[in-house]
Amino acid sequence: MSGKASSDPSQVGLSGSGALSHVYIQHPPLRCNVPGTQGLYYDDGNKLLLAPSSDQVLSWKVGPSTQSDPPNSDFIGEGPVLSIRYSLDGKLIGIQRSNQEIQFINRESRETFSRRCRPDSESILGFFWTDCPSCDVLLIKTSGIDLLSYEPDLNTLRLVEAKRFSVSWYVYTHESRMVLLASGMQCTIFSGYQFSSGGIIRLPKFEMAMAKAEANHKPVLAAEDIHIVIIYGRVYCLQFDRVSMQLNLYRFYRDAVVQQGALPIYSSRIAVSVIDNVLLVHQVDAKVVIIYDVFLDCLSPISAPLPLLLRGSSVSGRQALQVEDNLTSAYGAMIYGDSWTFLVPDLICDIDNGLLWRICLDLEAIASSSSDVPSVLEFLQRRRSDPSKIKMLCLSIMRAIMLERRPISIITRAIDVLVTSYAHLVKMENAFQGGDRSSKKSQNSGSQSANTSNIVSAESLDETMNRGKSIIKGAESETQQSTIRNLVNVNDNHAKKSTSKASLDSVSDSDGDANLDAMRSNSGESLDKYLSTDLLSSDAMQDVKKNMKHDYLKQSPIESEGLGCSSSRSDSCISNQQEPQIISVAISLDEMYHFVFALVEEELGGDPAYLIAVIVECLRCSTKEKLRVHPNLYMMMIQMLARTNRYSELALFVTNKILEPSKEVALQLLEQGRQNFQIRKLGMDMLRQLSLHHDFVTVLLQDGYYLEALRYARKHKVITVQPSLFLEAAVAANNSQHLAAVLRFFSDFTPSFKLTSDYNRYHTMLIEMS
Amino acid sequence: MGLPAMAANEDFPYSVQLSVVGLSEGLITFTRIFSPDAACEVIEEERHSHVFYQAEPDIWMVMIVEKNKDNESDWRCDALIDVLKEAHSLFTMFNGSLQALLDKQPSGELARSRLYTFINDYLSDFYVGKKIQVPSFRDCLKERRTVQMLTVSREVAIEVQSLATVIGTSSLGSIACKSLILFQDLLVATTLSPGDTANMFTYAVLRLTPHALSSNTSSWTYLRRGVSGSSITASSGLLNSRSSPEEYHHGSHDSSMGEQSNRYHMPRPLQRDNWSKGKDGFLVCDIQLNVGGLVYLAPVVWLQQSEEHMYLCIYQHRNLTIIVLIPVCSQTDGEQGIALVKKQLLENASEKIVHVEEKLSRGWGGENAYHVSGYRYLLVDTDKSISRTSPPGKVMTLAKDSLFTLNKLREEVDLEKTRANREKPDQEKNLEICIRAKNNSWIIAKITQGRELYMVMEKANETLLYASDAVEKFSDRYCDGAFSLD
Repeated sequence: MSGKASSDPSQVGLSGSGALSHVYIQHPPLRCNVPGTQGLYYDDGNKLLLAPSSDQVLSWKVGPSTQSDPPNSDFIGEGPVLSIRYSLDGKLIGIQRSNQEIQFINRESRETFSRRCRPDSESILGFFWTDCPSCDVLLIKTSGIDLLSYEPDLNTLRLVEAKRFSVSWYVYTHESRMVLLASGMQCTIFSGYQFSSGGIIRLPKFEMAMAKAEANHKPVLAAEDIHIVIIYGRVYCLQFDRVSMQLNLYRFYRDAVVQQGALPIYSSRIAVSVIDNVLLVHQVDAKVVIIYDVFLDCLSPISAPLPLLLRGSSVSGRQALQVEDNLTSAYGAMIYGDSWTFLVPDLICDIDNGLLWRICLDLEAIASSSSDVPSVLEFLQRRRSDPSKIKMLCLSIMRAIMLERRPISIITRAIDVLVTSYAHLVKMENAFQGGDRSSKKSQNSGSQSANTSNIVSAESLDETMNRGKSIIKGAESETQQSTIRNLVNVNDNHAKKSTSKASLDSVSDSDGDANLDAMRSNSGESLDKYLSTDLLSSDAMQDVKKNMKHDYLKQSPIESEGLGCSSSRSDSCISNQQEPQIISVAISLDEMYHFVFALVEEELGGDPAYLIAVIVECLRCSTKEKLRVHPNLYMMMIQMLARTNRYSELALFVTNKILEPSKEVALQLLEQGRQNFQIRKLGMDMLRQLSLHHDFVTVLLQDGYYLEALRYARKHKVITVQPSLFLEAAVAANNSQHLAAVLRFFSDFTPSFKLTSDYNRYHTMLIEMS
Repeated sequence: MGLPAMAANEDFPYSVQLSVVGLSEGLITFTRIFSPDAACEVIEEERHSHVFYQAEPDIWMVMIVEKNKDNESDWRCDALIDVLKEAHSLFTMFNGSLQALLDKQPSGELARSRLYTFINDYLSDFYVGKKIQVPSFRDCLKERRTVQMLTVSREVAIEVQSLATVIGTSSLGSIACKSLILFQDLLVATTLSPGDTANMFTYAVLRLTPHALSSNTSSWTYLRRGVSGSSITASSGLLNSRSSPEEYHHGSHDSSMGEQSNRYHMPRPLQRDNWSKGKDGFLVCDIQLNVGGLVYLAPVVWLQQSEEHMYLCIYQHRNLTIIVLIPVCSQTDGEQGIALVKKQLLENASEKIVHVEEKLSRGWGGENAYHVSGYRYLLVDTDKSISRTSPPGKVMTLAKDSLFTLNKLREEVDLEKTRANREKPDQEKNLEICIRAKNNSWIIAKITQGRELYMVMEKANETLLYASDAVEKFSDRYCDGAFSLD
């Protein structure tokens, strides 16, 4: 399977989009194959990859990019290591030495203490650190779980609570803060707890179903067949049923566990990853990945199963081909090898070779593999990983389908997706402003515009909620970092207002999830229901805040804002136009105009009917969401309608206010009406209706209706139009009576007009004429 | 110059007809000596009015209307000319120009036979009892050859436009279909030019809308409502009606008609009961049209602006009538092509059609939606060929004197307009006239920038200031201030 990718080098050479893969791992991996180390351990609470050697442990921080910083090392003393985890504040190291003993080492003082269990009746299954307010460490034993709290003064652990029941094995992820404890003959009866910063939530006991192979043989569920994942902020558990060859999907609510269907499996070994809320099911035997977007409880895969690709760093052209070839020969054989361990949520650890790979989605490839454009756009709009890139992708898809002249119905749905997504963002922004009015002023001073900062905050909150963990990616991070800093502002303000920490969390949570729920709203489920019952990975928020505060202290927001702009702009692909503001995946209507309509206008100009139809659909979608389109869109429409002589439609558009009345629209109509008096009149009417008296009088004068203009000017007290213009028009009409009347008018109604040179001049002219 | 279409007539002997033709020809020739560009419009005799309309270069239509003594025979010359114009426009829409027909067959037989059936079918709408009723002074708050629009909100307008564009673009790839969308008897959207829109709209209201389909008699409601009980005989110099309209309704032909139908194709788009609603929502035209050996399954119309032949395809959903015009040149395989268009229309737009109909129905203010209490008005936008009037039921409440005076006023305004147009064709005439009628009602005409407003206010205060204030209020509220410029 790995050879397949290299068999067609031309495809590999294209940066992913042409390659037969939707998911790839990026070369180079994080290398941690230091001689003398024994095994690799992943501490998901701190995102550390740990390699213990004889008396110390090397640790690599797993960041968004896999650059090889030299590892840190800590002394851990000698002895076997079954598992190892740093405490969340980084002060302690916990090492499971045997199934009877866990040793804790204070990193500063190097003091150690141990926790043992009763050797005769129980054994230790594992432990993890928690940020739950009542305890620090959780110890899982065959006889139950111990909630332990660290006493720094005594340098020991105090038992807070012990929950007693038999446990066969357990599954825990820091991302979900959830532990599932299996018991029963088949290990299918589960107790679950979520140890979140908000407290401990106990899930109802539930049993997973398993298909029977034979009448008397009951299969036993193993720990590696259970995966906890977080998708769109919702906690799921996936259970691999080896008999029926399917992956059962359970969703956790606060008070219930509901099975939500099953995914087919085509391999005896599987692994599960979640990248940007996309569920990846690795069919390890078949060496392919199937990707799902579990959003509207739709369990059909996004695309056909395709292999995992190994991709070189972003060098282009011939060089890239060679690199790819070399890579494939070097690493190709180990793709989906036996030594691969899949880490939550999106990492692959190659234990034998000491390599850590990050799995990435090739969104372009996914987008281009489906012909159902609206669905693709929906999919893309739900992604949060690389907003600028996704935005560009969406915009280029829009342009492409318009240039291909896809049926209007398709275009409509596509526009609808984008506009709905944007409308939702605006709603979020308003919600934020509503709850955060007091902090607005301070934000204004720090950021270029209040709007952007708020969108940004909402966005990053949403993102972090969705991802469950705050991974601040270096390459694309500047914007995000600044956004998160804004978020800190917001949250700090929240904190000032609200005395209790818990309420702060709930505010953040609801904001974050409101996003999803609003997007989900067409499925008909009520927002409240989700907010109240859905079990969220709320603790992710704590991670976020921790990181944010860290950054916040380092840099002032103003600096970071500047940095954010420059770095995010550098990777945008359109260079000659005004850059879109890279803040969110959602595409504003202004951007829709600048990057779609303005760019396709020339090519589609030959077929105005089509483009007008598209614009009408765009107007329809935006009206539905109560958004305003870019005024230039109206200009474009007027030009096209006028150019093709579709006067009656133009008149309809104006009278029905489909073209929203504005001075610009009116002037455009006047401009287009140079050849067509009727169109010009539409513009004049609009000026009048907008009470733009000065302009209206000027236009009347231009058309030679000087008496009408004069009457109108008197009625509406327009004094800004020069008398000489009226007088000149009367002279041009060669009508001495009218000239006299105009002259008299100004003499009577404009004080000191008789003293002006205009009066003398036209008075002389009048005498000459008569 | 000539008068080619002289229909056989039972009421009037051939010699009388011939003398009328001679007289008309003589009058036109004579008046041309003084006014070469615009010959006579009307000749008033003691017992008849002769109304002239130059329909095409060298082709004149003349209507001779008999006056009777009961004072009802006060009509406006322009209103009568508008009848001729309308008849000609509709004829041209279905048959092409008369000149083209004459070119095709110089003996005039083809043109004559077509005109005969067409005008008779057209006049069937003017029957009141057994007599033809021409528009009289009671119809002075009407403007023929204009379109009545439904006012919709922006949101609904966009929905309608979206439907119109779907119809226009989806049907046949690059070929753009034109469309009109009507709700009840009001226009909602059009993609035709104002002139073609007016013709198509007139036809739709006459024969296609649900209202027209359901009423076996005249659907032209305002004629009936406006003039019930009066009796005026009118006869046309070009052709004459049979003694009773029922004969047309039952489609009985005399032998000569039958022969003509066989020899020449005789499309009768204005014949009653031609259209009926099919099961699929499309209107079915009962008669098969056969032009030049080609069998057309749908009637074909000729658009003046784009100079194109278009198939007529009508879809109806409740009160929504959608007229789709498909270019004939795009359809080499007539039947299949139209079937395809129909299929695609249903596929792409049916959901939208239902949606739009619902929205329009919800916002529909009923028959009296455009009534403004205290006012009886006629509002005409000549640029867009749009008019709006007080509902006929409300106009009926006006005193005879009011209408009579307004009719006179309109006649004056017509004259004034023609004069101004002759003198300064590029400048638009603005004028305002307020008259206090014998019954103390205010009769007002105001023309500003191509818009005309005629108004009757009975029970109004007696000062002129009050009247002009009332006009201004009306203008600000209902005309976007178009008439309150000074």
